[in-house]
Amino acid sequence: MSGFTDSNALSERVKAIPGGDMLMMCYSCGTCTSKCMIQTKLESSYNPRRLIREAVFNMDDAAFADKTIWLCTACDLCYPACPQKIHISGVINAVKALAVESGKKTPYQVAKVDELTCVACGLCVKICPYEAISLVEKRVAFRGTIPVASVDQGKCMACGMCTAACRSTSIRLAEDYNDAELIDTLLSWLGTERVSS
Amino acid sequence: MVDAARQPLIEVKTFTEVEKVEGYVGNFVVTLREKTKYVRADRCNGCGACTKACPVEIPNYFEMNLAPRKAAYIPMSQAVPLIYNIDMDACIHCYKCVEACGALEAIDFSMEDKLVEQEIGAIVVATGFSHFDPTPMTEYGYGRFPNVITAMEMERLNNSAGPTNGALIRPSDGKSPKQIAIINCVGSRDKRYNPSCSNFCCMYAIKNALLLKQMHPDTEISIYYIDIRTPSKGYEEFYDRARESGIRFIQGRPSEITEDPDTHQLFISSEDITLGKVIEREYDMVMLNQAAIPQPDQNHMSSVLNVAQSPGGWFMEYHPKLRPIDSPTDGIFFAGACQGPKDIPASVAQGSAAASRASRILHSDSWQIEPTVAVVWPDRCVSAKGQACGICARACPYGAIDYTKGLAAEVITAKCHGCGACVGECPHDSITQLHYTDAQVLAQIRTLLAVEPEKKILAFRCQWCSYGGADLAGTSHFEYSANERGLRVMCSARMDADLIYEAYRLGAGAILYSGCHPQDCHYITGQVVGAKRAARLEKIFERMQMSPGRFRVEWISAAEGDKYARVINEMQASLDAIPEDVLKAEIERLRPEMAKKLTKLDEIPGVAQALVQVDFIVNEMVGKEKVA
Repeated sequence: MSGFTDSNALSERVKAIPGGDMLMMCYSCGTCTSKCMIQTKLESSYNPRRLIREAVFNMDDAAFADKTIWLCTACDLCYPACPQKIHISGVINAVKALAVESGKKTPYQVAKVDELTCVACGLCVKICPYEAISLVEKRVAFRGTIPVASVDQGKCMACGMCTAACRSTSIRLAEDYNDAELIDTLLSWLGTERVSS
Repeated sequence: MVDAARQPLIEVKTFTEVEKVEGYVGNFVVTLREKTKYVRADRCNGCGACTKACPVEIPNYFEMNLAPRKAAYIPMSQAVPLIYNIDMDACIHCYKCVEACGALEAIDFSMEDKLVEQEIGAIVVATGFSHFDPTPMTEYGYGRFPNVITAMEMERLNNSAGPTNGALIRPSDGKSPKQIAIINCVGSRDKRYNPSCSNFCCMYAIKNALLLKQMHPDTEISIYYIDIRTPSKGYEEFYDRARESGIRFIQGRPSEITEDPDTHQLFISSEDITLGKVIEREYDMVMLNQAAIPQPDQNHMSSVLNVAQSPGGWFMEYHPKLRPIDSPTDGIFFAGACQGPKDIPASVAQGSAAASRASRILHSDSWQIEPTVAVVWPDRCVSAKGQACGICARACPYGAIDYTKGLAAEVITAKCHGCGACVGECPHDSITQLHYTDAQVLAQIRTLLAVEPEKKILAFRCQWCSYGGADLAGTSHFEYSANERGLRVMCSARMDADLIYEAYRLGAGAILYSGCHPQDCHYITGQVVGAKRAARLEKIFERMQMSPGRFRVEWISAAEGDKYARVINEMQASLDAIPEDVLKAEIERLRPEMAKKLTKLDEIPGVAQALVQVDFIVNEMVGKEKVA
């Protein structure tokens, strides 16, 4: 009986967001968590199953503090694996949207625009897979009111696509990785070492 | 099986298919195809010389294709009757078996299938279940990784009469596995394949694990599960024994199995839910505990026997709680997993119950059926006047109506289950249903709508589902509009369009046309007949420009009391949304149109008298001035 539940409860708010509607169907089998590589490769507290549980039990604080919401890239590896056909990244995204709405910010780095050099060509807007970048009219010191790129912190996943695309090197991640570091990380994932030339 | 074959009153017909079932309870005529074995039963002594002589080897399906068999064979060593069989698809016609058989002359290549008709009093269906093939679940690698095997393959490998004489070996290298994993719910509790729980696999996994542990104490066995379900007597104790003996239970459904291509070692990645951590463990062999699914020819058998199927494909029982052994067709009973996955104790219990249900028929000279059967008025049936019709026969879910052009339709009473589909469909009102005659139902409608009909919501409910739903709403104290007036018929198929027109003609505010969900219909396809008619009515009322919400069609199960209450409240809300004068004007505008569709109503026997009687009683009870 839907009439008995509080529409302000986290589970109800998640259900109301498209993608979050299958929430209650989860029977906590853990397939999504082990299908995903983030827990084993990146962040040991990452756990989509637990996040869904937190949402089901209306644990706003726990859910919004859960790193899972900021790290899911919506690659949807877990979606076809889920025996209950839950669109898990849809649920995670819904919780994330509510966290952003309540003023939470990602603890992870996001792309930053150098407004002094941005020419508002819109390349980054087009390439961003998370639709996190838009062009906004803004007052910029020394340049007057001009259109510049702006990053939505709630959506940016720090993938670095914009950095690679930008022709005027005006958008970058706070911590840039260099090629050698990236290759070393990849090799460590593969469990092999670099062959010295 | 051997005992059954020895019983003088039991005739065992193996290798025989049911081709056709005709007739009705106590009087079935069943056509059987006795498939030829090319071996004469009266001569074969089961010596097996033909098998030894046969040079053809093909995979043995009984051994899950893990061992070969000959083209001259018996399916298993305990086969009853012990008569050999030549597999004609594999035979190369070398006739070595004929030579080996020698003077017995039991092998006869000229034999053919025999069609036999048999008179049968009652039928017990015990066709069992089949296994889900895990090949489409590519994440588990069945078929790609040699050491991933199914439960049935494990059953043969761990059987002392099996292809390895009970030696547990892994298929890739023949070594004995030391680390074994069992994965539960493979293809069951999985909306991508079979959403339901297969009932017995938890216990089956525990049984297999314990057996393996007893035979090979140095193996480590892990069972991956979502939930362990051990609800029956002694089951939890058995689960305890498994834990005691060191079997590891890991809660978490594996997402993937990977394989080292050189050693064929397997790695299972899963979340250990109690830890909240993803774990990867190495195994020598993995057993997939597959879902139980209906037999591949279940659909075919369902049409041969004319019994319905539940969601998922299993045969549907007459009533899930009160008559779980009877089929909807009198004289046909279910035993075991053909009606739904069940374990051995439950199957045996159902088998014994089915046998005793069947013997009630065999020991009776007469048989009582539900009294709500259909009856034809031969003088009203247009077929008798030479017109082509047969609508009733097409509507009947049981094939209980004999229709021949030129003769009045005839109801085979023993086959009739009393849904009233024929009554609802007959355009000439030539059929009625005992206890739900047109006169009786019309009298009820007239009474329910006697006072302030425009404020009433007349709810047509089917006996088995939506009536039950309304009942549940009441017993659960789900409040719904007091303007609802419920009216029960046996099935939505009985909700004759005439009844609806007449209710609107009398000025009903709104009408609910409700019945079961299509897969739940008590009368096989009764709901389909009812739903088609409802769709027709919806179109007609739309063309009449009836206000939305005045005619509503809803399928409500007996468990959906909340839905029933919600639907009625929504109908009340949409009725309230129409201003009273607009509603009254609309009722007046549509009254002649409804009447036009009803011209022959008072010609139906009994109707005129019943209505006079109703008017008399109602007027006496509520006073003339108030009656519409």
